[in-house]
Amino acid sequence: MTVTNLNPRLISTLALAAALLGAALMLAACSDGDDTPTATGTPAVTGTSTTASPSPTAESGTRQVEADNGTIEVPANPQRVAAIGNASLPFIDLGGEPVGVTEMRASTLALLPEEQKGTFEAAMNLGPSGGEVDLEKLASLEPDLILAQLPTSDFELIKEQLESIAPTVFFGLGTEWKTLADGLAAAGNLTDGLSEQKAEFEAHVATIQETYREIIDDTTFVMLDRYASSDPATFVITHIGCIEIAQDDIGLNLPEHAEGNNGEVQSFEQIGELSRYDVILYPVNAQGQATEPFAPVVETNAWQALPAVTSGHALGVFCPGNNSYGSVLRYLDSLDQALATLPSDE
Amino acid sequence: MTLQTADLGVPGAFTAPGTRRSIGLFVALAALVALLMLSLIIGSKMMPPAVVWDALFHPSGDFDHFAIRDFRLPRTIVGLVVGMALGVSGALIQALTRNPLAGPGILGVNAGASFAVTVAIGLLGVRDVRGYMWFAFAGALVVTIMVLLLGSTRRGQSPVVMVLAGVCVGAVLGGAGSALQLINPDAFDQMRSWGAGSILGRPLDVVWPILPFFAGALVLAFAVSGPLNAMALGDELAVAQGVSLVRTRILAIIALTLLAGGATAIAGPIGFVGLMVPHVARWIVGPDQRWIFAYSMLLAPSLLLASDILGRIVMHPSEIPVGIVTAFVGAPVLILLVRRRKVSGL
Amino acid sequence: MTTRGVSTSTRSSRATRSPEVRRVDFGRRVVVVRRGWVAMRFEWRSVIVCTAVAVAVVVMSVLALTTGSYQISVSQVVSALTGGETGLVHDIVVEWRLPRIAAALVFGSALGVSGAIFQSMLRNPLADPGIIGFSQGSYTGALIVILVVNGSYLQLVGGAVLGGMATAVLVYVLAYRRGVQGFRLIIVGIGVSAMLGSLNTWLMLKASLEQAMAAAAWGAGSLNGVSWDQVAIGGTVIGALLLPAGILSGPMRQMELGDDAAASLGVRVAATRLALVVVGVALTATVTAASGPIAFISLVAPQIARRLARTAGITLVPAAFVGALLCLTADYIAQHIAPTPLPVGIVTVVLGGGYLGWLLFTEARRRL
Repeated sequence: MTVTNLNPRLISTLALAAALLGAALMLAACSDGDDTPTATGTPAVTGTSTTASPSPTAESGTRQVEADNGTIEVPANPQRVAAIGNASLPFIDLGGEPVGVTEMRASTLALLPEEQKGTFEAAMNLGPSGGEVDLEKLASLEPDLILAQLPTSDFELIKEQLESIAPTVFFGLGTEWKTLADGLAAAGNLTDGLSEQKAEFEAHVATIQETYREIIDDTTFVMLDRYASSDPATFVITHIGCIEIAQDDIGLNLPEHAEGNNGEVQSFEQIGELSRYDVILYPVNAQGQATEPFAPVVETNAWQALPAVTSGHALGVFCPGNNSYGSVLRYLDSLDQALATLPSDE
Repeated sequence: MTLQTADLGVPGAFTAPGTRRSIGLFVALAALVALLMLSLIIGSKMMPPAVVWDALFHPSGDFDHFAIRDFRLPRTIVGLVVGMALGVSGALIQALTRNPLAGPGILGVNAGASFAVTVAIGLLGVRDVRGYMWFAFAGALVVTIMVLLLGSTRRGQSPVVMVLAGVCVGAVLGGAGSALQLINPDAFDQMRSWGAGSILGRPLDVVWPILPFFAGALVLAFAVSGPLNAMALGDELAVAQGVSLVRTRILAIIALTLLAGGATAIAGPIGFVGLMVPHVARWIVGPDQRWIFAYSMLLAPSLLLASDILGRIVMHPSEIPVGIVTAFVGAPVLILLVRRRKVSGL
Repeated sequence: MTTRGVSTSTRSSRATRSPEVRRVDFGRRVVVVRRGWVAMRFEWRSVIVCTAVAVAVVVMSVLALTTGSYQISVSQVVSALTGGETGLVHDIVVEWRLPRIAAALVFGSALGVSGAIFQSMLRNPLADPGIIGFSQGSYTGALIVILVVNGSYLQLVGGAVLGGMATAVLVYVLAYRRGVQGFRLIIVGIGVSAMLGSLNTWLMLKASLEQAMAAAAWGAGSLNGVSWDQVAIGGTVIGALLLPAGILSGPMRQMELGDDAAASLGVRVAATRLALVVVGVALTATVTAASGPIAFISLVAPQIARRLARTAGITLVPAAFVGALLCLTADYIAQHIAPTPLPVGIVTVVLGGGYLGWLLFTEARRRL
């Protein structure tokens, strides 16, 4: 209590000074730590496409792979691969069999082919998400390669720990799916499976373009979607997800969109404005019914009165995922079937 | 904690003659009616009153009519009902705790409802609002009773202990709910949109079954307004006047839980309406609970509808959920008031 | 702050006693010993409580050091600590588990102190730095970095601290009108927090699921991946802040008696309050920067400490000890309770809230 005899002005000055000193210390220390590691973590954001080029160095039994965290030396033929964050499913799609994965949402897993789902479930569950991975559990698996796709800020936090366990190949969330497949295949030594999938993809795209040449040239399309997290009574005119493949690879005529946003959010009140498009694409599940989040749109009176709906020009398309060749191929099947049902007078 | 009846009132308000209060009530009613009409007119597309009239009384298959009948009319009705319930429940909790900062959420109503909905979605796989609204309702009721028990002492219910207990129970349930959501991304995704609070996209058959509860609760609220008035002057004085403290508190809590729980079940957690409106009502009419209830019943739906309309205009043609707008409308008013008035208390 | 009649009476007796004590203290400093007799009764219990908590902390630390998903025997842990191990075992014990324990202790005690400062200053058991908007503001800053800029970890830290500080300043300025009064500060804080909270909800709605979940994990407060760097930096800053906190604790206790009473004792109320706000916010900001906003410790640690130590007012040291124990225990549970590890903040909320609720319940029972 004796301290109360101090001049209060002095007290507050001291306090402020200490706080400022603390802040200054923290800043100084932070910028110190910054010099070395951060240089590696950024390419994902700048969008410089990282083409993975496996270049075997004969003696050591390792190869070098380009990734968003730099050039990584990986085992020539990795045997125990842990795939965390969003890297797990594309890696499994390439034929990889990871020993450890982090959780994926149940609704995503439900869309996988049975054998891929089995592979995922056979792997050890290492945590609820890539950033919250149980590092000790991961270490106890003794992996020889770690594949990771997660938010950059999360990765930087655990980068050092991951790298002390095994060589770590990281891709940011913004990585394009083809680039991701290239990178994962190169790191996991699965390039044979990849080239097969690539060939199949290109053939399928060419077939669709040829079969529906006229439709593609003369028809205006719009792709709608609705997510579990969408505001009630809203839907989205979307340009991301599987529709990117329909637009970029196949060349469907879709509405102009602003760069960067995830799609144009529309209220159910605006369903009537969809009359201006020839064909409406909407998301369905594997059985061909509107997906659970999208079902409320289909139930509205306005939807059922749309000219495209009454004339059979509203097509359900199944998108099992858009970040690996396998799921994209299944999407192309679904799109192919949907386009085939268009009335021939088009 | 001694946030007692902070005397935020204008001295003159206590002597406001009955006629002035009645006139004010009519002004509030007129404002509410005007907002109800605006709510039908304003939206992604402005509708002339004639179209609104036709849509209501001579509906055709026109898209504008669908927009008004299927979307704007239900959301307006939901806003009216939910607003009234939130306003009166806020007035009740403030009278009960003699705490001008108490909102219905402080007794754990929102926490209980959110947790129950998380369990329903995450563990039981309930997907439809008609299903999980009952979970929300039940969760709100159960948690409020728990808080009531925790906050009860020999000498009845101590409002301060009750508030602390509400915070504790809310925290425990909030943490458990977050844990459930983080290990179940599907539930997390759905809860993101439920947690924002919206009066849009609620089918009216969600509202009808809650109405009898609201009616009963309103009767209860007005029935205990007399004893609450007596208690405002001090517990001892109230007892001397023959008021049963325990019975009054329990009846008031039943009423406010039904109101707040029902409102949350329909619309999700909507903050600030129940906190601010009774405040403003007290500033206008003084400490008489009957008048505060009456004003709250009119002012709260007005605030909710005004916020909802604002949410349609600000980012036109897309919308902001009303639960987000209410804070942006209410908070500046509250800050302005607390700066302008000479506040004491604490 | 008085929650019940019981403590009101304790407080009023202190209130009447203190000026007298001060008067004695004024002339001769030796009298401190005499006054100490009254203080001792409280202090004794505080000392016992702090010792008990410290023992519990040691037990928890040993437990946390020797158990984990990676199997390491106790003898290996000992040899790793003494430098006898290399490779992964050394890394896991010395570079992963040890800094994580240290971080839990340092950050937990900082949060405890920060909460104690705010509860004492505002005479409100529900007060914590969140009340002047710091938590919501830092969450907004972090969300913008994660969701809009997709930034690096360092940017995230910057965004969070900047957001929190800016909000705290905004609340303070908005509440300033010929001085800052506790009640006005609370109301303005609630208003601003509510707005930012809504903004945060909306930002989360607009994000992709992965981004939103990463943001939610950060927002809960997580010690996953904490390294010695963060502990060293955070610890230094916190240490530097505890000094002024200790100096301010005297005038702070006097201000619990009311602004006028404190002023009559020669405390410069406005300046002290500003200094307290700055120290309290800076403590929380440091923790937020290192591990995200670990929730609820600042709110419940002082309350639990006060009930354990049975002191009339809020005291800093027991609050710091309880905060450290709470954070460490919560992190241990968070890593072991679920099939997969959880962010520590989720468990601090459940653990702290549950324990405080139980204390309230037994208190109410005792009075039945």
